[in-house]
Amino acid sequence: MARILIADDSETILLLLQTRLEMEGYEVETASDGQEVMEALHRARPEGGPDVLLLDAMMPRKSGIDALRELRAEGFDTPALIVSAHQDELDAGAPNDVDVSGYVTKPIDFDRLFASIAELTRR
Amino acid sequence: MLTGLAVIGVGRFLQQRQDFEDAVARSYQVEIAARNRLARGERPAAARMAILAQQRRRESLREDIGGQTRDTALLVGAGLIAGLTGAALLFSGLISSMRRPLEELVEASERLAGGDLQTRVKVGGLSETAALGSAFNEMAAELERRAGERERLDRMKDEFVLTTSHELRSPLTSVQGFAELLMLEREKLTPKQAETVEIILDNTRHLVRLLNDLLDLARSDAGRLAIKPVETEVESLVDDSVRTMRSQTEARRQSLTQEIDPSLPPICVDRDRIRQVLVNLLTNAHEYSPEGASIRVTAGLHDAEVQLVVSDDGPGMPEDQLEHIFDRFTRGDAGLTQHVGGTGLGLAISKSLVELHGGSIEAASAPGQGSRFCVRLPIAAAAPRTTPDPAPSESL
Repeated sequence: MARILIADDSETILLLLQTRLEMEGYEVETASDGQEVMEALHRARPEGGPDVLLLDAMMPRKSGIDALRELRAEGFDTPALIVSAHQDELDAGAPNDVDVSGYVTKPIDFDRLFASIAELTRR
Repeated sequence: MLTGLAVIGVGRFLQQRQDFEDAVARSYQVEIAARNRLARGERPAAARMAILAQQRRRESLREDIGGQTRDTALLVGAGLIAGLTGAALLFSGLISSMRRPLEELVEASERLAGGDLQTRVKVGGLSETAALGSAFNEMAAELERRAGERERLDRMKDEFVLTTSHELRSPLTSVQGFAELLMLEREKLTPKQAETVEIILDNTRHLVRLLNDLLDLARSDAGRLAIKPVETEVESLVDDSVRTMRSQTEARRQSLTQEIDPSLPPICVDRDRIRQVLVNLLTNAHEYSPEGASIRVTAGLHDAEVQLVVSDDGPGMPEDQLEHIFDRFTRGDAGLTQHVGGTGLGLAISKSLVELHGGSIEAASAPGQGSRFCVRLPIAAAAPRTTPDPAPSESL
């Protein structure tokens, strides 16, 4: 089953995402900021790492968008979904220069989220 | 200087007059002396000669003074005319030196009244106009300061609402998410527990709606409400909105019908936003009308606009309520219906959205005669637009 790396600075949200994704049958790894996301991908590099990244747009230390920008520069092409509290956050920090596969706004519509992930893991 | 000439002229005239009077007086004295000699009989022939001579002298003096007076009068006249001309020139110079700054003040006042609070005038010219100019500048500076202060407070309010609705979103995501999680295992819950979770979910969704509406209004106030118009078929837009509402109206056995003029041209609108407006109007019709009511959506051409009308045969509204129907947090008297789930912001947002599209919205109603909401949208393809952006958006 596909592996998903989720990152959010809220433990509650991480728990929610992890529970729902595992119920859907995905293998889940968690990170609490962009720095941890990068470390996780660097560690996993030889075997390829997660199939999909699900990153919160705003996180302390390093945001999901900043982490993704750096990862893309390093050559990582793992598809990524960005989670944001609201469209405004994306309007403000929407990265035109970063390859993002899609956006998810809070409160999370899980049916749509699962559909997006299924689409990305089929490729 | 020319006035000086007139003064000199007058002085000279007075001096000449004085000399003339003196000469005449002396001439009379000589004549009187001669008459006395004549009376005493001293050398009468010589005395008569002297009298005649003095009379002639006075005549010639009078002629002289007449000529001199004329000359002096001419001189004085010329002096006066020159003086007046000089005064007129001086005066017009004075007026024009006041006029320019005054004209500038008038123009600046008009600019200020027109909203250009940065307008200032050049301070200069006569001390009075300079004082007026600096008073004007002080006033404009004060107005600008106050306007800036108000704008700052407005922005703080908008930021506050934007930030608050953002901060509330994460905990709400958790509440809703975990409640949904519980509902996924509904079979393991007692009916009472399942009902409790349903209530949590209902209220969470209501809070999310309220947050979304508040966010929309704050964005609208901050000039950040953006629309992305694309060419849209009216029929599919109405179909879509009606489909969204179908299950809710059927649950209350309300009829929901639509009638769309097949010749309608496409409109250029932000599909999601106009759909939001229609769903909002339909939701109101549904919630404020009793079971079994009829709700109707029609679309037709009206002048150069597409007119979308949502009407119902519900209880209607009295005039005082109708007046404030588009105000924030205005909600109809829910006494007739058990459950009205709106936020009280829907119509205020609908109005902002329709106006952002260059359209208009109006309501007509009377107690017992149902309600009718009419949205007019321009047909002409509009370029994508947003409200003017007063401040760069910040990350929240």
